[in-house]
Amino acid sequence: MVKKSMQTIDKDIMNLAKIVGEKEILFKQADLLAYDCDGFTIHKHLPKAVVFPNSTKEVAEVVKYCNANQLPFLARGAGTGLSGGAIPLNGEVIISLVKMKRLLSVDLENRRAVVEPGFVNLKLTNSIADKGYYYAPDPSSQYACTIGGNVAENAGGAHCLKYGVTTNHILGLEVVMPSGEIIDISTNGVLDLPGYDLLGLLTGSEGTLGIVTKITVRILKNPEAKQTVLAYFDKVEDGSQAVSDIISSGIVPAALEMMDKIAIEGVESAAFPVGHPKDIEALLLIEVDGISVGITEQIKQILEVCKTRNVREVKVAQSEEERGRWWANRKTGFGAMGAISPDYLVQDGVIPRSRLPEVLARINKISEESGLRIANIFHAGDGNLHPLVLFDARQPGQTEKALAAGSECLRVCADVGGTITGEHGVGIEKREEMRFVFTEREIAAQTDIRDVFNPHNLLNAGKLFPSPGRCAEVKKEMKNGREAFA
Amino acid sequence: MITSNLLNDLQMFVSSERIVKAQNGDDFLGNSGRIVVKPESEEEITKILQYANLHNRKISIVAGGTKRGFGGTTEAEDIGVSLENFKGITEHAVGDMTLTVKSGTPFKELQAYLAQYNQKISLDPFYPERATIGGIIAANDSGPKRLGYGSARDAVIGFRIAYPDGSVIRSGGKVVKNVAGYDMNKLFIGSMGTIGVLTEVTLKLRPLPQYESVILLAFPDGHHEWLKSFAAELLDSMMEPIALELLSPTLSEDLTGHRNYTVAISFEDVETSVHYQEEFVKKISPPSVNVSILEKEKACQFWEQFYNIGPKVTETKETEATLKMGVVNLDVIRVIQECEYMSDVHHLKIEGHGGLGHGLCHVHLSGAAEDVKTAIGQLRKLATELNGYAVLKYLPLKLRQEITVWGERPSYFFWLEGIKEKIDPKKILNPGRFVGGI
Repeated sequence: MVKKSMQTIDKDIMNLAKIVGEKEILFKQADLLAYDCDGFTIHKHLPKAVVFPNSTKEVAEVVKYCNANQLPFLARGAGTGLSGGAIPLNGEVIISLVKMKRLLSVDLENRRAVVEPGFVNLKLTNSIADKGYYYAPDPSSQYACTIGGNVAENAGGAHCLKYGVTTNHILGLEVVMPSGEIIDISTNGVLDLPGYDLLGLLTGSEGTLGIVTKITVRILKNPEAKQTVLAYFDKVEDGSQAVSDIISSGIVPAALEMMDKIAIEGVESAAFPVGHPKDIEALLLIEVDGISVGITEQIKQILEVCKTRNVREVKVAQSEEERGRWWANRKTGFGAMGAISPDYLVQDGVIPRSRLPEVLARINKISEESGLRIANIFHAGDGNLHPLVLFDARQPGQTEKALAAGSECLRVCADVGGTITGEHGVGIEKREEMRFVFTEREIAAQTDIRDVFNPHNLLNAGKLFPSPGRCAEVKKEMKNGREAFA
Repeated sequence: MITSNLLNDLQMFVSSERIVKAQNGDDFLGNSGRIVVKPESEEEITKILQYANLHNRKISIVAGGTKRGFGGTTEAEDIGVSLENFKGITEHAVGDMTLTVKSGTPFKELQAYLAQYNQKISLDPFYPERATIGGIIAANDSGPKRLGYGSARDAVIGFRIAYPDGSVIRSGGKVVKNVAGYDMNKLFIGSMGTIGVLTEVTLKLRPLPQYESVILLAFPDGHHEWLKSFAAELLDSMMEPIALELLSPTLSEDLTGHRNYTVAISFEDVETSVHYQEEFVKKISPPSVNVSILEKEKACQFWEQFYNIGPKVTETKETEATLKMGVVNLDVIRVIQECEYMSDVHHLKIEGHGGLGHGLCHVHLSGAAEDVKTAIGQLRKLATELNGYAVLKYLPLKLRQEITVWGERPSYFFWLEGIKEKIDPKKILNPGRFVGGI
């Protein structure tokens, strides 16, 4: 019956259905609506179809078909991306990898695991936890996001301060190239394969250089001990100084997170309140891990630093349950903004840690000037800020104002020698802001690389790079870019 | 004639005292230049590149010279660009723990400078006195401590790169976390100078450890199963070794005076933690294993000596070679065993070591050229059996013209070649130096 109805429609849909199976394709408008955006909801566009391949071979065949018929296409995981990387701007055929979600192998002796791209991040840690192992990159959406998506975005997380982001944990990839050819880059996990580092280049390429179909990741042994500290500050400056002091004292915390007053108001009004005082200006959530005896000394040092920086109250988690509550409160921080604002926009700039007080003051000014509240939740240890611009899309003009304020925040980050994204990616959202940090020539160097892999630009076109041209502005940016990095 | 024209032309960009005409016959390693220029600024570098690109002159890049035996089949290109005068720290953001440095700066100088601030670059390359930061990164050199600290791809956060057309590209930035655009940094790490001249490198730094030690475990001969189960147990524990390196008996004899398969384990942390981990290692060591511990300065001295093993990078009577082999972690034991067997069979001095937690091995061979060649062939065969690879990290030019340095081309070579062609279409930079003749 499905067959019959399909014969009346597009030949491409029929042919794609032949590759993946009739039950593994969506093409009716009502079904496609769920795929018109990802975690970045400001741009929307309907795909031509969504296919759900079950194997690398099927992915490759779909890609080859798209190539032969000049159909734009892109890969999608759980759709949790925050910069719009999986939005079908050009009416793409979406290749959803959610059915390729097996854990293929775990090799504890050599500390590696092989997963399919649709395998959910947190499931990997859950699958090996009983043996005392875990997978380090832990984006806040880890309960839902897929490892394939993590590779595309080079996802970070709260604990990447000590352990690094996704790229530091990828040992090998099987990739369907934009031509449909399947390549294997070190899926057995051997390091430093001769040749340019395609693993490093593909990781974080936001789905524009290839489609990952198998991933070999490094897994780590759980640390012997872990301790978590919560510190409340009356002044943001004191909190920021404490961050700098901790880092420069020689401690490498596993995580060092900060929230400001508005963010605290948000998380305390949402699903996981922990009773933070509402009149403080900043809190720090600090975690150290490693050898037990070493940690005791580090905690002592951290408590001293906090005291020197006029902390109002500082406490060490007394149980795993308490630690868990503190983290749940932090990790659901973005969503919590929904409790105090109808809409919010998440930004993702990075600054040199030492510029934190200055940057927070400038963000505050942007908030005053735009009339929009901006909450700050961030990975303070590595200078990765997440300004959350609160707005009400029902009010005419507010969405534009929020976008402009978000962009201004990124401008500030670039101005102080930082960058426009630390873990969310450029996607659609920050295409134009790429010019805050790169010259036209530098952007061309990157699109040159894209042309090597994706010469017809059928794979995920329109992402990552600003629209070409605009000479006058370009010149200005080149000058600024140089100053910012000088 | 051509050379003298070139000489005149180059004087337009670089003052004549920094341009040297090469002497004949001193290049048993090759990768030199008929004319060697020593630029002192990025601008000079870009002008040389622009000139070479326009006039189709081939360039060979060098600085400390420790990797001149790595790749390439040419004795001298038209122009040798030596970065030995292009050195110094551009910016050290002490509080941000980042460092920007010119590529020709010797590694040891950098570490000595950073030590004043209780900081370090978390790389442990070979020949740290002579090797420069640019060369280390371009060749992706790393040592045993890679287990704890990672490699160049984990430490580099930004570059300035002079492209073959003379333009300058920045990749990455100066912050420790950055996903703006493609991760172009990765493309240049280990690219052997074939797609650009690194001019500035920005690195993230680590604090110096408060305390460190090296534990040496000498295993009695013929008990390889103990070795394997010991390594597996340590790796499965919650201890945090920074290095877990297996040394072949020949190498161990050189470094420790004991001719045994020896495991060198490094711990770096606060003192109590280091001692606690030492105790754990003692506890799980098989009874007949000889355990000795080098604390603090003695541990540093051990590694200093270690980083200078291998060829002296000068012409010697015996043929010297170094292989870098990559296998899966515990297969390192097989590689190091093979080294020992082969040294008996082929009358070669073979010193090998490999990381039981990261799978990278270095094997230094010294002896008659024919024997060295045979041994290389056998080690390559073993690497293939173990689904790994073997790359010749050091070999005199004459032998490089006979034996392929990089082994088989990878199946995805097409895209590697595509990258080279896109960035350096005239193939002027370090031609033939990299895999598959790139």
